[in-house]
Amino acid sequence: MHIPDGLIAPQAYLPAAALAVPLWVLAARRLRAVLGDELLPRLAVFTALAFLLSALMLPLPGGTSGHAIGVGLLALVFGPWIAFLSYTLVLLLQAVVVGAGGITSLPVNALAMGFVGAWVTVGLFAGLRRVHETAAVLVAVWLGVMVSALLLALVLGAQPWLAQAPDGTPRFFPFGPAVTVPALLVPHAFIAAGEAALTLLVWRHARKRRWLAEAG
Amino acid sequence: MKDRLGLGTWLLAVVAVTLVHEPWLLAGALAGVLLASGSGRAALLWRALRLVLPILLVISVGYVAMAWLRGELSVAYLWLVNLRVVLLAVLTSWMVRDVRLERALQGCPGALRWLSIVRSQVTVFRRLAGEYRAAVLSRSTVPPTLAQRYRAGATLGLAALDKAMYNSEALTQGMRSRGALDD
Repeated sequence: MHIPDGLIAPQAYLPAAALAVPLWVLAARRLRAVLGDELLPRLAVFTALAFLLSALMLPLPGGTSGHAIGVGLLALVFGPWIAFLSYTLVLLLQAVVVGAGGITSLPVNALAMGFVGAWVTVGLFAGLRRVHETAAVLVAVWLGVMVSALLLALVLGAQPWLAQAPDGTPRFFPFGPAVTVPALLVPHAFIAAGEAALTLLVWRHARKRRWLAEAG
Repeated sequence: MKDRLGLGTWLLAVVAVTLVHEPWLLAGALAGVLLASGSGRAALLWRALRLVLPILLVISVGYVAMAWLRGELSVAYLWLVNLRVVLLAVLTSWMVRDVRLERALQGCPGALRWLSIVRSQVTVFRRLAGEYRAAVLSRSTVPPTLAQRYRAGATLGLAALDKAMYNSEALTQGMRSRGALDD
């Protein structure tokens, strides 16, 4: 789902960076307060775990598959701050080691998928778990992915408006929200359903082993 | 020093490219980057194209179709977006090929340790994923059903969580016993 370099205008990625940097600092401080000197090795292992989870194939009907995001699972098991930071570091790693994704689009991707995705998932789960725990996991993860996809669609859809030549032609991404919103939301409705089912299966085992939110 | 300079230059160049809106300037920059990248430039270009070609095709074809229907097609825009994305991808591929991140991060022991652990753990998790996939394939000669594929994915996810919990504890203890957490 994440956006590569060159499609997001500085008018979007610079404010996103200004918003993301304090959140990264806050996340690191909060985790250091919980984990102390264990922060570095734990964060490194969870980054690698997030790397694997984001590469996990989601089986879809018809023998096809999509990529999981993994933020929902990380947020439910380890908490939203570690999910946000680990996912940001995965995006950074993908940008500077693999050359995938992008460095200018990193703040937008990290905020939409890592921060909003994690907090929507955790917030919904906390609100719904008293009603029905299984449904709470499914709804929280599904909506976490969908809200992230919607945010990215809106950011992409705003590009023709944010950056255009004097004659009105776009300078970055050419399509408005009328195209980007359905283009991202329709396939992600299926991907999110797959991710929710997979997360539920893993989450049940994680709960039995009393790992939930152990790491902060 | 050279690697740190390379990393910093790449960062500045990537931001600078997003501020340029003239296709001929981007084309010149792309030619310059390919010339400066030395031998192996064809492989570098191919690697970059493989990463961005699918998305560029979707955007270009979609834009041509929509603009043609509206009667406002801009060939200059097509050049602009394609050249910019390809140039950024080539710059990043060049950085990935020639900059040694470990050397660039000398002087930042925390970041260096983080990178070393992540790299080793990514290898561990990739191997784990490979083994689990091979196990699923070895169990039956017919393709697994959707439910079996979900169970296999969940088993892998659980095994990865298990390993992450164990490895983070083991690494923390190992680093603590060697005084690596006292810096």
